[in-house]
Amino acid sequence: MLDMLSNPAHVHLWLNHVPTVGFGAALVLFIVARLRRHDVLIQTGLVMFFVVAAVAIATYLSGNAAEPLLQDRPGISSRAIRAHEDAALLAFVCMEITGFLAWLALWQWRRAPKLAGWHLPVVLLAAIVTFGLMARAADLGGEIHHPEIAATASAAQPDSEEGASGTAQSIGLFVSGRPWVWPTAETIHFIGLSMLFTVVLIVDLRLLGIAKGVSYRAVYQLLPIGMLGFGLNLVTGLAFFLGATPQYIHNKTFYWKIVFVVLGAINLLYFMLDDDVWAVGPGDDAPVASKVAAASALFLWVAVLFCGHMLPFIGNAF
Amino acid sequence: MEVLSHLEQAAFFAWVRESRSLLAYPGILLLHTLGMAVVVGLIAGIDLRILGFAPALPLAPMRKFLPIMWAAFAVNAVTGTILLAADATTKLTNPDFFVKMGFIFLAVILQRLIDARVFPAAAMDDFIPLPRRTKVLAASSLVCWLGAITAGRLLAYVGPVSGL
Repeated sequence: MLDMLSNPAHVHLWLNHVPTVGFGAALVLFIVARLRRHDVLIQTGLVMFFVVAAVAIATYLSGNAAEPLLQDRPGISSRAIRAHEDAALLAFVCMEITGFLAWLALWQWRRAPKLAGWHLPVVLLAAIVTFGLMARAADLGGEIHHPEIAATASAAQPDSEEGASGTAQSIGLFVSGRPWVWPTAETIHFIGLSMLFTVVLIVDLRLLGIAKGVSYRAVYQLLPIGMLGFGLNLVTGLAFFLGATPQYIHNKTFYWKIVFVVLGAINLLYFMLDDDVWAVGPGDDAPVASKVAAASALFLWVAVLFCGHMLPFIGNAF
Repeated sequence: MEVLSHLEQAAFFAWVRESRSLLAYPGILLLHTLGMAVVVGLIAGIDLRILGFAPALPLAPMRKFLPIMWAAFAVNAVTGTILLAADATTKLTNPDFFVKMGFIFLAVILQRLIDARVFPAAAMDDFIPLPRRTKVLAASSLVCWLGAITAGRLLAYVGPVSGL
């Protein structure tokens, strides 16, 4: 088991079923629930979109880590890898947008009994587009090792030139090539982390007993600020990753950072869905489960910051 | 300048700068980043509430977060001073460093003004409409912290860069 985890190609083959099969199942559930107007099932579909979008971060990154293992093998076309990489980037971006929209619907649903009329149709549209793009990315990924399934000859043709370039690589060159891009992205990454910590600190410290005069419903209003900060950091983090891929994929600290990010996203679901935490009023002591969830959230996000900070110091990066 | 390089050569600051221990430079900078997240995170929460986000959030109990914020500020004053002394010749000749200090100085003054205005009033009534002047103070505080983060982050990239 541990052996398998140390091979990024193996991890990628394992994780890539989540955004394809998992997302497909979520989409079918969401459509059926919408047709039957079954609120609990609709919410379940939204939760699944959000969880799949979180795990897709690890799927996307593990694909890049797998690439060096394949590159120099006979019968592997670097053009097929590029085609898969670009399709995967596009599908990943749409997947994250769908995840944010699904989260926003869940957040809004908790506050008010009614959503805006456009919200769920927009989530559905984004999910269908994402599913189409993800199926295409998966298909192109399969062609890397299985040229026999290639519908078009071009993708599987052996490459004559070294390292065909694609969109992902062009973005990477833009990030690493312009001197102002990296410092700007770093600055935004720090602003994003401060926004995320605004929510992590106020919500979790309240549940742990500081500022008990505030109800959970009141601090819940802050959640989108943290999500916006996380979004800024996902975009800027992706820019760093595309700009300097080797220093991340060969770095164990980075793997841990992504593990903590995915766990942090799953931990957030407690604060969206649990009825006991929602009932914590002004002056109330939070139930034990809420305190455990709050302490876990603090631990996980500090761990994310710790791993991010230690990237140049533990491991072999930079 | 000579005073600065003498300072840098003091045993402790040389250890901070040169040791490969994670407790030296990496650990002290980690505390500085965590402290920043706590200070700016909590202040931004209060400022955004003053500006009208999360209107259901009562202000009076939010003052309980202030001691934690000031404790984190103290951590950053100490770690910041150590990081400065370990790299004095580079940092003190970088105009960007003084821009950062200027923003933090202003932000602290703004915080004192906001505390004096908001919390005694809020203790009487959590949801009285806040005067425009208070909102201007809160917006200025956010701008100062954005400026401090930007100038701080750019210390690694502009002016004389030591590689620290």
